Amino acid sequence: MAEPTGIGVQTPLGETGKIRRRDPIYQAVEPGTVKVYVWEFPVRVWHWVNALSIFVLFVTGVYIGNPFVHAASSGEADAFLMGWVRIVHFITAFIFTLGWVFRLYWVFFGNRYTREHPFRRRFWSGMWETVKYYLFLPNRKPHYVGHNPLAMLSYWLFGVMSLIVILTGFFLFFEPQLDTVFGRLVSWMFLVFGDSFSIRSWHHIFAWLIILFVIVHVYMSVRDDLVERSGTISSMITGYKTAKRAHLIEAEEDTAGERKTLDVG
Amino acid sequence: MATAVKRKTIYEEQREQGVTRREFLKVATAITMALGLKLKMVPTVVHAMETRPRLPVIWMDFQSCSGPTESFIRSYQPNMQKVLFDMIALEYNGALMAGSGTAAEEHILKIMNEYPGEYILAAEGSLPLLPGALTIAGRPAEETFREVAAKAKAVVAMGSCATWGGIPAAKPNPTLAKAVTDFVPPGVPFIRIPGCPPIGEVMTNTLAHIVIFGTLPEVDELARPKAYYRHRLHDKCQRRPFFDAGLYAETFNDEGARQGYCLYKLGCRGPTTYNACAELRWNGGLSWPIQSGHPCIGCAAPNFWDEAPFYARVVQLPGTQTTINPERVGAVMTGAVAAGIAVHAAATVITKGRITKKKTDVKAQEDIEIGQ
Ligand code: HEM
Ligand code: SF4
Ligand code: SF4
Repeated sequence: MAEPTGIGVQTPLGETGKIRRRDPIYQAVEPGTVKVYVWEFPVRVWHWVNALSIFVLFVTGVYIGNPFVHAASSGEADAFLMGWVRIVHFITAFIFTLGWVFRLYWVFFGNRYTREHPFRRRFWSGMWETVKYYLFLPNRKPHYVGHNPLAMLSYWLFGVMSLIVILTGFFLFFEPQLDTVFGRLVSWMFLVFGDSFSIRSWHHIFAWLIILFVIVHVYMSVRDDLVERSGTISSMITGYKTAKRAHLIEAEEDTAGERKTLDVG
Repeated sequence: MATAVKRKTIYEEQREQGVTRREFLKVATAITMALGLKLKMVPTVVHAMETRPRLPVIWMDFQSCSGPTESFIRSYQPNMQKVLFDMIALEYNGALMAGSGTAAEEHILKIMNEYPGEYILAAEGSLPLLPGALTIAGRPAEETFREVAAKAKAVVAMGSCATWGGIPAAKPNPTLAKAVTDFVPPGVPFIRIPGCPPIGEVMTNTLAHIVIFGTLPEVDELARPKAYYRHRLHDKCQRRPFFDAGLYAETFNDEGARQGYCLYKLGCRGPTTYNACAELRWNGGLSWPIQSGHPCIGCAAPNFWDEAPFYARVVQLPGTQTTINPERVGAVMTGAVAAGIAVHAAATVITKGRITKKKTDVKAQEDIEIGQ
């Protein structure tokens, strides 16, 4: 997917009149409507790699916890079914973990939408309005082009859940050799999560919590796409979201926290 | 009894009992092997036995079933007499000693005064926080324990009750029982020998190690001797090939059970239990639970008693004593979330008109504001 550059692309200007590094790129499509380049290529790739690995990790993980299929039995231990399932789980686990490492690295290089965070007052007031919006109550929820604060918070929680699953997962991974260098990197978890049985329990419970997150996440995206006509779903493929010019200004105000002139056709 | 001013060494005592030098060396070699030391360590063991007196041991029972004592006296390697009478001096043990009452309690005091900082306090069973729940010779057990532990060279917690709280501390824990290790005075080293009961050899070998090296053996994060608790049973199990193959016994009577398949689906706790059963086995190496077809119930793991049912794969909700079948609960929660989504989606459709109207209002307002 080519980065949108060249003719027809405009960007909002900072006070100095220069393009600010974190600002997203806008593209006028028709009077009153703009396309915003929200999800940059690496973020989109990460999103789908992540989705796929969670699916694989979940299926293989549930099999490890509760082997629901048996190998064809010859009476000898000559199959390697659980063995392969575990290997797939472990390889995918490394992809999942590296994905997160990369995503955190991208926080320093991506556009504004890659690094929204809840440590602002505006975030929490916006959150309150968003909650009211989803409860069908009268609200003053602004339009958001990136994530709304509620979605944002859920992604942060997803990050924490991922961290717990990754930490406990690597404990389980190195558990057979706690006395080695790698084992010593994880054996401190006894003191945080409890004994081996508890660590395994954390891993299994948070695996399920992640799946519940995924279900809600998919519903919310589909809903947003249909209700707001914002192109949420295709945005994770193309990178662009469509927005009404007026809404964009509203969103800009909320994200940047200041009113500024937009030159968006 | 080793009460003389100048204490006799183990070797001297042996010679007095008519043991020849040759026999003595045989025993020293056997002990070296039993401890899993290299053959070239034999001279170290011999030297230790030639220069060190027997190790005084005070063995106290608290809230326990005396399982560790029973297991201890059934050690085969190094066999019980060798360790018990050649290397340690078991000065006090409620279950084994002939004396009782005031005489027995006074004997503890005598050992404490004669060998301060030299004796080992082997503790079995848990200690209650509930006042009056356990008294020995009229005194709260906790008080006696602290006093004897304060002057000990080290405390060796024998069995899962002493190491983790065990069965007395299981739900609903009526006596507020805790592990004895929670009561060890600061500065006194301790180690944990968990198991319900621990394997006899693990207890005797640990004491033998202290005699020979004069120090506690190397321990892991949870203060268990690495030599015996380094590995999970799962990583040493003879049924492991069936685990990797994906072949599991489903009940105790099916073909899989007869074929010796892995007991994972019968709730085997081998994957979370650290113990030496798979290597040392029980009853002098005769067999061990998983070999004889019974899944491990995790008797050496903390809180194993509250992780019931033993014969199913469950997970424990962190910080509680509640176990669940994760797949069943997960499926129910997925259903609940799906129902919630259905309700929310329906509400979205019903209220759509109203929300859209409101939005148009806002938009009109905005358009005016920015002067268009
Ligand atoms: C979305 C991410 C993940 C999900 C949904 C997931 C799911 C699961 C589940 C359900 C189990 C079975 C636990 C049990 O025995 O009760 C499991 C086991 C395991 N997982 Fe994960 N997991 C994830 C990530 C990871 C990561 C990042 C690692 C890191 C290496 C990892 C390593 C392991 C290991 C080593 C086991 C135990 C395998 C065994 O007992 O043979 N997992 N996983
Ligand atoms: S029987 Fe238990 S310890 Fe042995 S391989 Fe199966 S699950 Fe692991
Ligand atoms: S197999 Fe498990 S339950 Fe049985 S004695 Fe060993 S650790 Fe305890």
